[in-house]
Amino acid sequence: MFWRVVVAEMEKNINQFFFSSRTLFWTLLLPLGNGLYLYFLYLPFAVRSVSLEFYASWYTLDLVGFTLIGQLLYTFFTMMLLSGTVFDREREQGTLEALLLSPANRIAVIFGGALASAFNYVWFIFGILLSWVAFLGVIIIITDFLALFASVALSYLSLVTLGMCLEAFFIHSRRGVMYATMVQEPVMFFSGLIFPLQAMPRTLLSISFLIPLTFGLLSLRLTLLGGASLSDVVVPLMVLAFMTLLFLVIATWLIGYAERNAKKKATLTQF
Amino acid sequence: MEARQLSRDYVSTKRSHLVGRKNTTIIRALDRVDFEIQKGELFGLLGPNGAGKTTTVKILCTLLEPTGGRAFVKGHDVVKDAARVRRIVNMVAGGERMLYYRLTGRENLEYFAELYDVPKREIKSRVNTLLELVGLSDRADDEVEKYSKGMKQRLQICRGLINNPEVLFLDEPTLGLDVNIAKDVRKFIREKIVEEQGKTVLLTTHYMYEAEELCDRVGFLNKGKLVAVGQPEGLKRKMPTGFSIEVLVARLTDETLEGLRRLEPVKKVLTTAYEGETEGEKIDRLIVNVDSDRTAPDVLNYLSTMRCRVVSVNIRGPTLEDLFMFYTGE
Repeated sequence: MFWRVVVAEMEKNINQFFFSSRTLFWTLLLPLGNGLYLYFLYLPFAVRSVSLEFYASWYTLDLVGFTLIGQLLYTFFTMMLLSGTVFDREREQGTLEALLLSPANRIAVIFGGALASAFNYVWFIFGILLSWVAFLGVIIIITDFLALFASVALSYLSLVTLGMCLEAFFIHSRRGVMYATMVQEPVMFFSGLIFPLQAMPRTLLSISFLIPLTFGLLSLRLTLLGGASLSDVVVPLMVLAFMTLLFLVIATWLIGYAERNAKKKATLTQF
Repeated sequence: MEARQLSRDYVSTKRSHLVGRKNTTIIRALDRVDFEIQKGELFGLLGPNGAGKTTTVKILCTLLEPTGGRAFVKGHDVVKDAARVRRIVNMVAGGERMLYYRLTGRENLEYFAELYDVPKREIKSRVNTLLELVGLSDRADDEVEKYSKGMKQRLQICRGLINNPEVLFLDEPTLGLDVNIAKDVRKFIREKIVEEQGKTVLLTTHYMYEAEELCDRVGFLNKGKLVAVGQPEGLKRKMPTGFSIEVLVARLTDETLEGLRRLEPVKKVLTTAYEGETEGEKIDRLIVNVDSDRTAPDVLNYLSTMRCRVVSVNIRGPTLEDLFMFYTGE
């Protein structure tokens, strides 16, 4: 039953929002603008590399790669954030009631929703890579495949589970899209997406460490561009694994709480 | 299905201005409601807007928790055994909701079949049968946004039947539909859902002719209270005012109306809006409740004396509409 609901939910979301030739075409082109923006941000400074400090070691990373990875993960984060607002849409079209009226496992529903966004993201990756390889001439060099795989998998899972948390949270709220938009800029700043974290004031650094994107960016940049091995990035990977579990527990609790609360306060729809 | 002392309060908080204090208002939408619905029965819950009909339905199908009392569906408590209740009930609401517009009709039904854990091998045939039943087979693979209102409503009924529920809640199922389509939907409910499939149905509506045509028993809700329950014919017999004189009248004044209310045979006078005019004069529709049809001449004589022009007169026994107005005062 659980996996049937997950698959059904995925199919529903993909069929609704993704499978049309127009959407496929534009989502392939969409990342280009963002990629160009991030790249040209550095051009006036005539720098070719970025120095990244991690555990008292300094890594010199190719600027284009540094920026590309930033865009890859940030796009994913944004997609998961927006997948969290799916219940806003459901509420508006009255399908939230139909969904909650069914005996379907709620975790399966939000997991399916998050996976659908993650699936859409795969298509975005093509768009991002295409634009960087074709227009900006980036060369991708991978040194430690295992470390890269772990970094990708854990970044992916932590953001999917974060998306689930947000979906559950947004059952409460009729302003999901507004909140999702509000957090995008601060996350861009605090996660070290545009600049390396050693440049961040120490007092603000604690906020960075609450964001899974921070650790995803660190591990991916170090393994993909800095030649770091698995042992070098074990700390950010463990943090990502911990965050994945934590988000999963929070999402499970939150979805139950959100539904109970909505039934008590009649916030699914009023009257 | 049973409701015992079922109550529901809504708490509404508003600030007087942006940084002002919050004012909390409690609205009692349901007030200690009791009723019982038998297996295979089509029960109508009637009442004006805001009477508590939808609130009752939402509590019974587990979408809302009561603030007092208890409710049971097939013996299962709707709060404590919500998961079990959800497996055996479904709801159809009026007003083009509860469907995914960017999916096709078939995709919608297949999706909900998965949510209800309908056996894989049965999904295709069940979806086809339901689509056939409501006459949507030829449009099954079109996106719902391309459907007319009536088609959406018929698809909603399919969605409501996808889990083969033992109990079906129909919340204003013909809201906003054309007369002919509404008639088809009513026929479908009575013949297919109740008579053929033997399902228990709770219908809410404020269309009295709909309730009259469909319901085995009805209950009148007014301001959250259940003011009368019974078979329509039985309730009509209990009406203290046995007959209604329906008069279309021009030149009606407030003074005339007051005088009419004071006439001895008259029990109750209600005016309703009537769209139309004759010879440039506005027409009002009067419903005068009296004990006996023999008192009609007295009423008409009085109206003539008061220089009203009577356009038409219809004397009849009580209808559900009369009962509705009697119990709700609307």
